[in-house]
Amino acid sequence: MSIDFERISKRYGELTVVNDVSLHIASGEFFVLLGPSGSGKSTLLRAAAGLTGIEDGRILFDRRDVTHVPARQRGVGLVFQHYALFRHMTVGENVEFALRVRGVKHADRARRRNELLQLVALDDFTNRMPGQLSGGQQQRVAVARALAHEPAVLLLDEPFGALDAQIRVELRETIRQVQRRLGMTTILVTHDQEEAFALGDRIGVMHNGRLLETGKPEMLYRHPATRFVATFLGAANLFLGELSAGGLKLGQAQIAAADSQRASGHGEAVTVVRPEDIELADSEARLHSTPLCSGHVQSLSFAGGVQRLRVQLPGDSAVQSAVNLANAAPLVLEVTRNSSEQLQLALNAGQRVAVGVRRVHLLPTPISSFRILADSAQDASQLRNSPLLNQLATSMRARIIDSTASSGEGNVTQGVAVLAADSRAIPTIAAALARGTQRLLCIPAGAPLPRRVVICTDSDAARPAALALVASVMRHLHAEATFVSVQSPAAPRGDVAGSFRRLLDTRAELLESHGLDVRTDLQVGALDDWLARLAASEEQTLIVLGVAGDAAQIEATLTQRFQPLLGGRCPVLLSCSHAPVATLGAAGAMASAQEPDQQLIDGAE
Amino acid sequence: MKPSRVPANLGAMLLLGVALAYVGVLVLLPLLVVFVEALRSGVGAYLEALSDPYAHSAIRLTLMTAAISVPLNLVFGVAASWAITKFDFRGKNALITLIDLPFAVSPVISGLIYLLVFGAQGWLGPWLLEHDIRVVFAVPGIILATTFVTFPFVARELIPLMQAQGTDEEVTALSLGASGWQTFWLVTLPNIRWGLLYGVLLCNARAMGEFGAVSVVSGHIRGLTNTLPLHIEILHKEYNPVGAFATAALLAMLALVTLITKSLLEMRHPELRQGVARQR
Repeated sequence: MSIDFERISKRYGELTVVNDVSLHIASGEFFVLLGPSGSGKSTLLRAAAGLTGIEDGRILFDRRDVTHVPARQRGVGLVFQHYALFRHMTVGENVEFALRVRGVKHADRARRRNELLQLVALDDFTNRMPGQLSGGQQQRVAVARALAHEPAVLLLDEPFGALDAQIRVELRETIRQVQRRLGMTTILVTHDQEEAFALGDRIGVMHNGRLLETGKPEMLYRHPATRFVATFLGAANLFLGELSAGGLKLGQAQIAAADSQRASGHGEAVTVVRPEDIELADSEARLHSTPLCSGHVQSLSFAGGVQRLRVQLPGDSAVQSAVNLANAAPLVLEVTRNSSEQLQLALNAGQRVAVGVRRVHLLPTPISSFRILADSAQDASQLRNSPLLNQLATSMRARIIDSTASSGEGNVTQGVAVLAADSRAIPTIAAALARGTQRLLCIPAGAPLPRRVVICTDSDAARPAALALVASVMRHLHAEATFVSVQSPAAPRGDVAGSFRRLLDTRAELLESHGLDVRTDLQVGALDDWLARLAASEEQTLIVLGVAGDAAQIEATLTQRFQPLLGGRCPVLLSCSHAPVATLGAAGAMASAQEPDQQLIDGAE
Repeated sequence: MKPSRVPANLGAMLLLGVALAYVGVLVLLPLLVVFVEALRSGVGAYLEALSDPYAHSAIRLTLMTAAISVPLNLVFGVAASWAITKFDFRGKNALITLIDLPFAVSPVISGLIYLLVFGAQGWLGPWLLEHDIRVVFAVPGIILATTFVTFPFVARELIPLMQAQGTDEEVTALSLGASGWQTFWLVTLPNIRWGLLYGVLLCNARAMGEFGAVSVVSGHIRGLTNTLPLHIEILHKEYNPVGAFATAALLAMLALVTLITKSLLEMRHPELRQGVARQR
């Protein structure tokens, strides 16, 4: 039986625990919902079982809507972390329960009971009480009980959570075999990535109520799209690299196109290097892979088949971390070495080593880092502590870098420039634009965390980049997004119809390529007036403004039309598309010119 | 930590002695006096006192009151504990507080409440008079007052038990296809049966022994509205010590039987003593 979650949302009061989740699970598939505690994975499972209601969305079993079907009629098998065996019934009675409440005859019940207990290798335990069994045996009874009524769907909520490591592995095998044999569609909820890898045909990673990514285990591990998934599924080293026509530059090292997944495009990119993809040697000449830098071994530990090392890079290393480091702490790499590597080169703590990378993966996120542009250290710390930037950076695990013009890092063209929205904003923006910056976040002093996001663009050309940016931001804010089109009152009828069409297109596009749903709104007036009014209002809104043009054109647009916006109370996220301004109707021709941005859309964080 | 078997030092022995003396003087001695006094004039006088028709009617009324109010509180207690422990709803805390109210209020006041509502001068008095329904100074009033006073016993016993057991088993039963009713009979009730019996016993002991609230609403009509405790009081006031003590001994016996049953239950199911569920 296939299972479809269509845009599921679940709220407890103010708190959204499941946020707009859509997911298709094929018939017979073993799907693992993975996430830290509080990510909403159990709630989603309970919604599938009918144990908890949902505020929005639909749940389909075999394309049949079961959203309002009560739990007892859904015909799912359910296994909990704490077994929940009926304590006053024997093992046999527990297993028979589902048949008993269906009025199945005694002889048939006994036959089915024996079959199931055999399946979980507990046939000698029929007359025992649950209290006389070990944890692993109890959980096997729970599995047998959940299968008695031949459910087409098996839902497992952290079933191994309360068990010892060895029992865990055994029971995992049992469940996998039973699932294969009976071909049930199965959803397993867990926070343990090892379990997810061992069992899942596919894995979905949840965080803060959002389903971030789904995919086959190896696919997700090798090619994650978000920082969260990269670091949650196994250890990962995240660097900021710079992508250009020649390939990827990590610090001083130039990595050939063949080593990296996505070697086209340009600008700053978040680079993932798995611990096993790092090579250590005693000198650079002995490295078989691309040399990255040198460092020294900080610590090593034994972990069965592999050795785990922490390699500290010198403070002046050109390699940049993509995650925040504690105050000026040096960058420390996580490295694992297999036994043959250990044989080739024995290492001790404190030893100097040359570090090479075998393989890198680039994240397609448009927000590689936040770079603060401020005149003084005080202004910089004020920006750094603003609730909006804090929330975004923490949730994304993105790095905030002080990047004032004097520090020499100002020439990096990517990332999101962060600046104070005050009277000096426009010259700062102009300078950043001239250096090639495309995304800027202007935060007024004391702005609270926005509850709402409003998206506008001044032309169709600016839209794709703005939408990619919004999709990325929305994953990390508990806010509702509205795409607004502002229509001149004097516009002819045809233009109004076009505006409506554009709104719907935009909504469809966001849903299609980012899985993000927005509201749409059509306002009458002039865009700049409307935005200025919004910015001056008390509403806690983040305004996302997409503008297109070269640096000079955008500066002119901002000065002439949007100056009041940058002095208002609302934070403004500017998405600038460096392309010739397209006239309306020519948007189709823009597609090829938008290549880099189009690419960013696909897996936006 | 398990307590050691024998008091180890003088201090512990002294403490134990004080405790035993306290219980002896305040609890054991009066109980003993009841039986001694009852039998002072011989078994014949004792039996004669009990064969009094007024005593018979008091025994009947007491048993009837318990037979009606205990089942009422059983049903209410189970329903309230079920609602409180298995669901989240507005006013849950208010309900918990209300259940405790009869414990907090003096029984005399509990009786007065019914007098004020159902009495001739009460809110509903004129209407009841018109329709010739007698509540106060009649059997219905006694049953109402007893039910009110014994209201918390079953619920108070079940709530902690059911809270500790959680809802996992019920949820599982639902997912396995059981209806709400099946879930209750097959899963919940067997899990709480001993706690429930315990609560019912306590409730029954109190229902038979209640004096204050019943005294206010009964009107003390001999042979009609006198329960055992009221009958004892009357005998005592009439300087009939043999009759008073004989009836008291009977009531004390009923209480002792309840206590012994309760202790036997506790011996078989030690978890009841702690008022928490069995370990998972």
